[in-house]
Parts: sequence; C-alpha cells; structure tokens
Amino acid sequence: MRILAIIPAYNEQDCLEQTIRSLESMCPSIDYLIVNDGSTDDTKQICERNHFSHVNLPVNSGLSVGFQTGMKYADRHGYDAAVQFDADGQHLPEYIIPMGNALEEQQADIVIASRTLAGEAPAGARGAGSKIISALIRLTSGVRLTDPTSGMRMYSRRMIGEFAKGYDLTPEPDTVALLARKGCKVIEVPARMQERQGGESYFDFTHVIAYMSRVCFSILLFQWFR
Amino acid sequence: MSPTLRALCVIGSAVTFWLIIRRVKKASVRIDDCIFWIVFSFTLLVIAIFPDIPAFLARLFGFIATSNFVFLVVITMLLMREFTNTLKISKLNSRLDELIEEQALQAKENEQDEH
Repeated sequence: MRILAIIPAYNEQDCLEQTIRSLESMCPSIDYLIVNDGSTDDTKQICERNHFSHVNLPVNSGLSVGFQTGMKYADRHGYDAAVQFDADGQHLPEYIIPMGNALEEQQADIVIASRTLAGEAPAGARGAGSKIISALIRLTSGVRLTDPTSGMRMYSRRMIGEFAKGYDLTPEPDTVALLARKGCKVIEVPARMQERQGGESYFDFTHVIAYMSRVCFSILLFQWFR
Repeated sequence: MSPTLRALCVIGSAVTFWLIIRRVKKASVRIDDCIFWIVFSFTLLVIAIFPDIPAFLARLFGFIATSNFVFLVVITMLLMREFTNTLKISKLNSRLDELIEEQALQAKENEQDEH
C-alpha cells in the first residue's frame, strides 16, 4: 500500500525539519510531500537545502488549496492513500501505518486519528467547539465522531480522486460530514498528539470564528444542496 | 417626485457617468464591466427628466409616494449587481486556486525532468 503524507506548511521554519526527520526515521516506507503555501520565512530554503520532497505555491492560498495540491499530486502519482499531516510536529508519524491498516482492513474511505479515543480529549474552548461539531455531524449524517477537529486524517484512493477533482472540498470536519452522508465510510483510530513544536498556528480569533461559522453552516445548511 | 429628488437624480447620474468614463480613460476597467453603470446612470437620468414614468409605475404598483418607488428601483438594481458580483468573485477565486495548484505541481514536474 503506497501512502503519501501531505504536509501543508506556512511559515514553519522552526519545526519543519524536525517533523520531516522524525517522519523519515519512523516511516521510511511512506512518501511525503510538503506543500509550501507561499511562506515568507525560510520554509522554502529548508526544503531545498535538505532535498525534502516539496512543491511551492506561488502565493499564500490557505490550507484548502495547499491540501488539494497534495491530493492532485497523490492522484496523478497513483497513491493508494493520503494522510493529512501537520508540519508543526503535532501529529506523530507512528500512527500513520496503523491508520493505513485500519483503512485497508475495514475498507474505510476516511480514517481519523482521534485524541478522544486515546483518552486525550481536547479541553477548553477547543473541546467545546469539537463537541458542537460532533453533535451536528451526528444529527445530520448519523455518524458518531469523537474527534472531528483532528487534523490528522487518512483518505482512500477513491477520496483522493474526489478531493483532486472536487469543488470546494476543504480538509475540514464539514467535508467529512458531507462525505459520510454521501455514503463514505468514516472510522476513527486512537492516537495521541503533541503540542505544536514551534511556529504560529493558522488559528487566531478571527480564523476561529470564520472556521466555526463555515463548518456549522456547511453541516447544517449547505451540505443538503451539494 | 420633489424637484430636490429630481435634481439629486441628475447629479447622481452625472457623477456615476463621470466616474466610470474616467476609469475607462485610465484603462482601469473593462468595457464589459461598465455596461451596468452606464445603464444605471441612464436610468437615473430618465427618472429625473421624465418623472411621469416612475409616477405612473408607482401608481400602477400601489406605492403611496413615487420617491419610494424610485428608491426601490435603485436598491433592487444594486442588490442584483451585488449578487452577480459575489458569483463572479467566487468563480475568480476558484480559477485562481486552480492556477496556483497547477503552477506549483508543474514546477515540480519540470524540476524532476531536469534531474
């Protein structure tokens, strides 16, 4: 089974190298692609200096575009599965192979690495947001997800095609809800995660509001027309 | 329609016309995108010069005052424009994303061919 780890990176000079080194040593059988999303720091230079597999988006375009670029690459190079993997060191590479096994054994379309199943539910405002999204997904698609906001998700061959050619498919929980309702099999496996190891998050206050309103409206309203 | 409103319509029409023509001269707007503003400017002018037309239509649709009808016409025109603009921007964004993705992947392919 050929797996591609898609690693969107926007200004991740502080932790990218460490993330890739641990990915390479833990999972030598897995290919990866860093999608440098128009970074203004040394992300690009780090990729070039270390000969990391990467593409450079000419301008900063956001997570969705970065991720779709990775999915197009996976589609054109015939990968069997692709996993969304954070550049900041939050995601641990040792869970990639178990996710791939779960995908294959259970014939799933999407495998989510769940912190909750590993006994580490996100707390505070993040936890509350996560619970609201869980409830909305359960309400609308009947699928029970314990950690919908987990950014570590693996997608099957079929899903790679969907994302590569699809319109407005974000790598976010609302898309998972949409695909689940359309009959895709979504499962979760327990996984621990780390605190981000450096750099800054995409998520400041305005992004959180934009994220929550998009996800909630999308799940409650727009998915019925897509 | 009061003389004041008629005068304001003429001024609005003239200002709109002047602004858009100035942009055409500066080559900072495409002709296709001007059509709406020229029609808008012309509509205001017609309303100001022939107030009997909006007055007739206002009575026909049961408006108490002609001015209310004129406001509604202007608001409707602008809302329709705003809606089509949203569609257009959305389409442009998708196309731009598509180009960015293709450019990035293409650059990688080219680089690999060179090695």
